Amino acid sequence: MESPLFLPTLAACRLLLAWVQLPVLDGLQLDHQLTSPLTSYFRLKEGLWLYHHGVDPYLGGVLKHSPLFLSLFSTVSPGRVAWALSDIVGAWALVRIWHSRQQLGQSRRDGLVGAAYLLNPYILLPSLASSTSTFENAVVLLTLMFAAEGRPSPALLALALSIHLSLSTSLLLVPVLMLLVTSPTSRLASPRPFGGSYWMVFKYASEFVVYWSVLVCAASIMAGGVWNWMHESWGASLILPDLTPNPGLWWYFFTEMFDHFRPFFLMVFSTHLAIYIMPVCIKFQHDALYAAFLLLGILGTFKPYLTLADPGLFLSMFAVFPEIYPYLRHAVVTALLHAHASLLLPLFHALWVIEGRGNANFYYAASLVMGVAGGAGIVDACFAGMRIAIGNGSEAERGKWEVVQQ
Amino acid sequence: MSLIPIASLSQGTYIDENALQPAQVNTYWNWQDVHRADQYLYHLEGLRDRNSTSEERAQFIRNELANLGLRAATQNYTFTASSGLLSGVNAYAIMASPRTPSSEAMVISATWRSEVGKEPYNLRGISIVLALAAFLKNYSLWAKDIIFVIGDGYLDGMQAWLNAYHGTIPPNLETSLLEYTSGVIWTALNIDYSGHSFSHLGVFFEGLNGRLPNQDLINSVRLISHYTGGVPFIVYDHLEPNDFPDRWQTTSILANAPDFIRQSPQLQDFEYRAKNIVRHINYQARGKPSGAHGLYHKFRIDAITLFAVPATGPHGFLALGRIVESALRTTNNLLERLHASFFFYLFTSPGTFMKIGKFLPSAVLVSAAMMISGLGDWVNAGWLHEAVTENDREEAAAGGPSSKIQGKKMVRWRMRRRPLLRPIFTVLGTHVMGLLAFNLMRSPIFVENHLAASLLLFGALTILPFVFASLPDRTPEVAPFSLLLKSFNLCLASIVISTTSLLNFSLAAILAITLAVPLMYSSCSRSSPPRIVSLAKYVTYSFLAWGWLFLRDEVKQAIWNWEVLGIWFAPFICIVYGPLVTQAGVVSLQP
Repeated sequence: MESPLFLPTLAACRLLLAWVQLPVLDGLQLDHQLTSPLTSYFRLKEGLWLYHHGVDPYLGGVLKHSPLFLSLFSTVSPGRVAWALSDIVGAWALVRIWHSRQQLGQSRRDGLVGAAYLLNPYILLPSLASSTSTFENAVVLLTLMFAAEGRPSPALLALALSIHLSLSTSLLLVPVLMLLVTSPTSRLASPRPFGGSYWMVFKYASEFVVYWSVLVCAASIMAGGVWNWMHESWGASLILPDLTPNPGLWWYFFTEMFDHFRPFFLMVFSTHLAIYIMPVCIKFQHDALYAAFLLLGILGTFKPYLTLADPGLFLSMFAVFPEIYPYLRHAVVTALLHAHASLLLPLFHALWVIEGRGNANFYYAASLVMGVAGGAGIVDACFAGMRIAIGNGSEAERGKWEVVQQ
Repeated sequence: MSLIPIASLSQGTYIDENALQPAQVNTYWNWQDVHRADQYLYHLEGLRDRNSTSEERAQFIRNELANLGLRAATQNYTFTASSGLLSGVNAYAIMASPRTPSSEAMVISATWRSEVGKEPYNLRGISIVLALAAFLKNYSLWAKDIIFVIGDGYLDGMQAWLNAYHGTIPPNLETSLLEYTSGVIWTALNIDYSGHSFSHLGVFFEGLNGRLPNQDLINSVRLISHYTGGVPFIVYDHLEPNDFPDRWQTTSILANAPDFIRQSPQLQDFEYRAKNIVRHINYQARGKPSGAHGLYHKFRIDAITLFAVPATGPHGFLALGRIVESALRTTNNLLERLHASFFFYLFTSPGTFMKIGKFLPSAVLVSAAMMISGLGDWVNAGWLHEAVTENDREEAAAGGPSSKIQGKKMVRWRMRRRPLLRPIFTVLGTHVMGLLAFNLMRSPIFVENHLAASLLLFGALTILPFVFASLPDRTPEVAPFSLLLKSFNLCLASIVISTTSLLNFSLAAILAITLAVPLMYSSCSRSSPPRIVSLAKYVTYSFLAWGWLFLRDEVKQAIWNWEVLGIWFAPFICIVYGPLVTQAGVVSLQP
């Protein structure tokens, strides 16, 4: 794992996997854990077909992807190699983030960091299922990579792109802006007030608005209208038109809900996501990368149309923050919860959909376990990120501390 | 777990779906239909005595069904399994419902062979299906199509027919799609009547991979059997103790006990219920269907086998025909799939069952205990327990909060590193090993020379784990490998038990016994035992994990079940159970 050849070998294996035909893979593309209506490969292909035949793909309510995917895949054929390459780009970005956080060129942990992304089953399986969440994850990592390396224009462009692909990623706007004006190195152990200049933040924010508007224009030209694609792709994560089950927490609430409560609770659920931005960014103002990491954890638990790729990104990013490991309180419990959830989800799904002896409540129970696992991960990461500031002094020194509140 | 058979823990069965209305109709099946069944039986006996081929039999049945004016056809199939080819011919007919477009259907089936009774051929079962076909088409009250299927062989014919019907033909099955099809099948009754007459009607309900049919179906047939047919209804072919008090005394395991124990009704009842549950666990834990009805379950069809318990009397075609007719009328009433009653239950006696909430805790408690013990080991691995020497004592007395006084000796706990990668690789490695072993077992070489191959495989599986058990690292600053591995092993086993407990309780219960005991006691004692003892322990574990390789017939059957029927038991044992016990063996190998 420490040899410099390890990562290239891993990447080559991942590429090879794109050509191997395994019988297991066929079933994956329809798996509700791995693809949601927003990321489904079948819907993308259907949309492409409609697009090529001169029909507005957003009319039938089938396609919920961004028009940018349409433009990408109408030039590049949507083969499995694209997904493998996207995974490799994601892993490369993660390693670069690790480098800029440590301020060094090569390190012995590179292999581990890359493997944490490429070998993470939560990342690998959606990618094998040709879910477009693979591209979303890669763009998020590219955003963070550019921001951590202090290259504002590419970072903001990538951010605009990633918000285009998935509206929920807009949670990352604030931490990315903060990261651009501060340094990516670990300041968790020595917290201090936010040191960046607000004028620069404003400047970058305006730059972001420009990129974002350009992309909106491009997408509108591409889709031949403004309202249709916005309503179908961004609107889907706000008004939840499709209640296909997924490992997230939204769908079941809204299947059970009376229609007249729907708008109110849609507002509550969306606001609930946004409400985390400020507290996390204020508490971790000294380390914006860590704030972004925590917000990814929030997304990976509470996002609408969650797939396993979302918690997967959060879990893989743990590899970038080795300094918090000694302070994690229940890492094993979190891991076991994830193990339970990842076994229960497919089993209960089969019990409900295939065998017909369970019902939706079974699957929802499993997705609650997933929610608990995600929550445990966030709480632990949050705690460790703050606890590290107190340090782990010698016993004599610790005697001087008095714990007032815990 | 041993409390499960207690009578007061079970509750009475009831019908939950209001549409069923069992035993509420007048039946029309009469002696002339019995006579027709007898005539079919005469022909079938002729076919059996002539040792006719599958082709001839199927052709005969098809012709008879076609003569009735039904759409009838035959289906040829060939299964390719690693143990050889298996082929046969099925016959089936579809009676279109007079009232609806053929969107829903129910099935009555019988297979050529019977495995429960003493007679090898299910001739009377087939005769009554044919006679029923002639009888049922005279009535216009059917709201669903009725499909009559005569499967060749015991399970294989039915499996081929069902796969062809649903268009899910696996690569190892060679057959064409069916000539005639109908709508979605909701319920199915499989009839097994191999004896001359019968005294009781037994129900078999376990399906593939431990799926059970909706309880409403069984309960309806029970009521119909009592009130319409006048036939006592039992589970499996287990007669109730008060059905034959004289013989019960001799077959009971309490036969040699003192009188007051032998004649205690509570104990007799307990033994009867325990017998039912053991039979149930035997089917369900292995994922084996208890009859041809079990194959339907894969396609979400609720199905049971009605077994006519062989006896010299008093019932025959008349009672069975009435029961089946009434049961079909009941399922004909359904407006939606059976969904109301229970899917997870244990039948302790025909009229009583246990809800999942009552029996699940017995397995989950074991799994929780393993989880807690695994987490305990994890915590222990993180701390080093050391006695403080005189010099350190003053320092410690200065007020380290983590030092405490035990007796007179000062004891201090120190944190130590827990390197994770090696245990993780061991766990992954053993499971990959299991996967490879499973694939090897399916190769033709293994099937041909079983003994030599299984000896080799067993040797390989015993020796390979030594790779993981390398030299112990003696530094006190690092947690011992074996403790970490044990903690992982226990947590994994606990997850496996708790997740299977809902899907297949019997399997979870068996695992709770076969995994909990060896895994909990795999640990290293404080004083390291001599090398030879730990080696012996390891070999014992190895036998526990892979010793079943030498059971030739069991292995062959399990592999066949996986290849043809898709039963998960063989891969589960190879990829999950074996490796888990091997990991425990590796733990015991470490000093």
